[in-house]
Amino acid sequence: MTQLVPHIFNGLTLGLLFALIALGFTLIVGVMEVINLAHGSLFALGAYFALAIIGGSWLGDTAIGEWWLALPIMPRYILALIVAPILAGLSGMVLELALRRTYGKAPLYGLLLTFGAALVIEELIRLGWGTGEQNLQLPQSISGAILLGGLIYSKYKLFAAGFAVFAIIMVWLFLEKTPYGAIIKAGAHDSEMVRALGYDLARLRLLVFGLGAGLAGLAGVIMVPIWGLRPHVGIDVVIPAFLIIVLGGIGSFWGSVIAAILVGLSVGITGAYAPAWSMMSMYILLILVVGFRARGLFGKKSALEN
Amino acid sequence: MAKNNLTRRQLLKTTAAAGVAGTLFGPWKHNRVYAAGTDKPIKIGITSDASGQYANSGASDRRGMQMAIAEFNAKGGVLGRKIESTHIDTETTPATGSRVAERMINREEAGFLIGAVSSGVANAISQVAQKNGVIYFNTNSSSPTESGKNCHRVKFVWDGNGANFAKAAVKNSIDKYGDKWTLLTNDYVWGHNTAAATKTLLEQYGGTVEEEILVPQGTRDFSSALLKIQQGNPNVVAAAIGGDDQKALRQQVAQLGMGSSPAWINNQQDWPDVYGLPLDNLFGVFGTTWYYKLDLPGVDDFVARYQAMYPDTRMRVPGNVFYNGYMAMKNMLEAIERAGTTNNIAVIKELEGHKMSAEDRMQHHDAWIDPDTHQVQQSIYLATAKSETDDKDDMFEILNNVSPDDVRDTGAAAACQLESYDDTPTFDA
Repeated sequence: MTQLVPHIFNGLTLGLLFALIALGFTLIVGVMEVINLAHGSLFALGAYFALAIIGGSWLGDTAIGEWWLALPIMPRYILALIVAPILAGLSGMVLELALRRTYGKAPLYGLLLTFGAALVIEELIRLGWGTGEQNLQLPQSISGAILLGGLIYSKYKLFAAGFAVFAIIMVWLFLEKTPYGAIIKAGAHDSEMVRALGYDLARLRLLVFGLGAGLAGLAGVIMVPIWGLRPHVGIDVVIPAFLIIVLGGIGSFWGSVIAAILVGLSVGITGAYAPAWSMMSMYILLILVVGFRARGLFGKKSALEN
Repeated sequence: MAKNNLTRRQLLKTTAAAGVAGTLFGPWKHNRVYAAGTDKPIKIGITSDASGQYANSGASDRRGMQMAIAEFNAKGGVLGRKIESTHIDTETTPATGSRVAERMINREEAGFLIGAVSSGVANAISQVAQKNGVIYFNTNSSSPTESGKNCHRVKFVWDGNGANFAKAAVKNSIDKYGDKWTLLTNDYVWGHNTAAATKTLLEQYGGTVEEEILVPQGTRDFSSALLKIQQGNPNVVAAAIGGDDQKALRQQVAQLGMGSSPAWINNQQDWPDVYGLPLDNLFGVFGTTWYYKLDLPGVDDFVARYQAMYPDTRMRVPGNVFYNGYMAMKNMLEAIERAGTTNNIAVIKELEGHKMSAEDRMQHHDAWIDPDTHQVQQSIYLATAKSETDDKDDMFEILNNVSPDDVRDTGAAAACQLESYDDTPTFDA
């Protein structure tokens, strides 16, 4: 007989991972009111940057290359965890520069541009790393299994969920406790006033987009040891991320986090009793919530509605 | 001498009358002759996935076909005509498969279609192909329905199917691991049909299905399913999970260390899906139709030709998907040559029942094309991950080979109703 408790625990873990996936997407939509369809490709790009850093194949047969590969996985992995999201963030900034021409126009322009960018990034990944499946090496200490209540859990998945909590808290602290966060939030609330106060709105948008893209890249580094790494892995990200921000309410940070956990729980628990419906359950949840609250759980009126 | 001049008016009248008569009483089935000129190249439409779940396998499939085409063109083509191919991405989506097939036939004027990894896509393509009478080779999709209820007179299926692999594995596995089984099934046509074949065999050999866990296509997190498996504690898990879903499953089973207990039977393991992965990602027993290390004549030469043609490909050695793509294309062109014509009905008749020697196929047993189902009856190999190897390419340990007679899919044969020749439009490509 299926015991429910392990599946609830599993659903919570899954929900935290969904929250990590949606974090960068939420930030960009919430602050800039741009639906970034390249989110999944930036997610994949982050993972591929991590692969390049850990694998070090681009260093070739040089002395540095040999020294790098002789290092244990742990320092290489930690460096990848820091540098890969930064590189993804920089890529996001380049995308934002292209996106500027669409500001003030119909949202469709931004959608089309980011959709095109997603295709371009995916093809660049194919050119750079090939089309096949890749494997992101992990340090031994977070690999393998752990026994909890007589059942085997993945040590890495627990690490990933813990890391997701850490990332959520750090982003929240950044938005709530730093002057940069205050400016970003003010920019989302009333960009004209922020500009009138002498802040450079263009630079603010660049920073936010870079941060959102960096978070997408970070999610990629964390998620691909669970999902596997292939050029189109980002496709799996955009729909859940979009669903979560709509469910949570566009622009609501905690709305997204709570929505992600609800999605995780619904997928996890449905997976125990009616696995064929596990993917569908998140859409049913969305229909139920949006049926009663059109702006999602914690949503407020958005400029996208105009 | 009588004067026999035809006036312009008479010519127009005669032409119009002939046109009307042709329309009303003409050879309905012989409705397309667009490329019948002997100097024109024979045009092959490659309908393989370049995006979506089977993009990687689709690329391998395509490389196999292109190598066969290059080899035929190097020796002067077929019937003195050059072979030309055109490829359109079928996107691992049945609706796209239909559109691509329509376009290939009606706009690209392809005389033959070839390629598929997804059974849903193959089925969609073959419906369009049958409507137009265009011969279609399903190279790599392995749902039993492809040569069963979805069989067509114009379609030929080159891969082993789920029932073939299940037959090769089920009895041995009950004896070796136990009779309490859980089925982990992708919730779409291939998964369902493969699971159905496994269930039938389990009943036949005294095994029981404790539970069937249906997994939607596109699943990336298998933790619920893996928890259920742990809670159910079966002897064997028979997985029919394909494409990217299977890749995610493998990662997660490897992380949990569940690859050896319970025992896993993975229906078929496509080479592009596993190439380059750590060996602990390759768990359980799985089937394949070919391996590049088979100790058989011709295999080394085939590998060398692959490496010469594709020196920069990440996959340094060919796998089963490439092999199927190559063999299908080679046999298509050989059948045209044997028929001495590109007439579709003549080529179909040439293919039906055609025997292929083990030597030609680089397999352990002779193969043939079943005239009742149009599926290639061929050797099936059971394999597992190689435990210790320094050769990164040599990932499989072949456990045994099973002859086509022992794994024939009788269910497909009972379900298949091929259209008659008369109901199949005929044309010369």
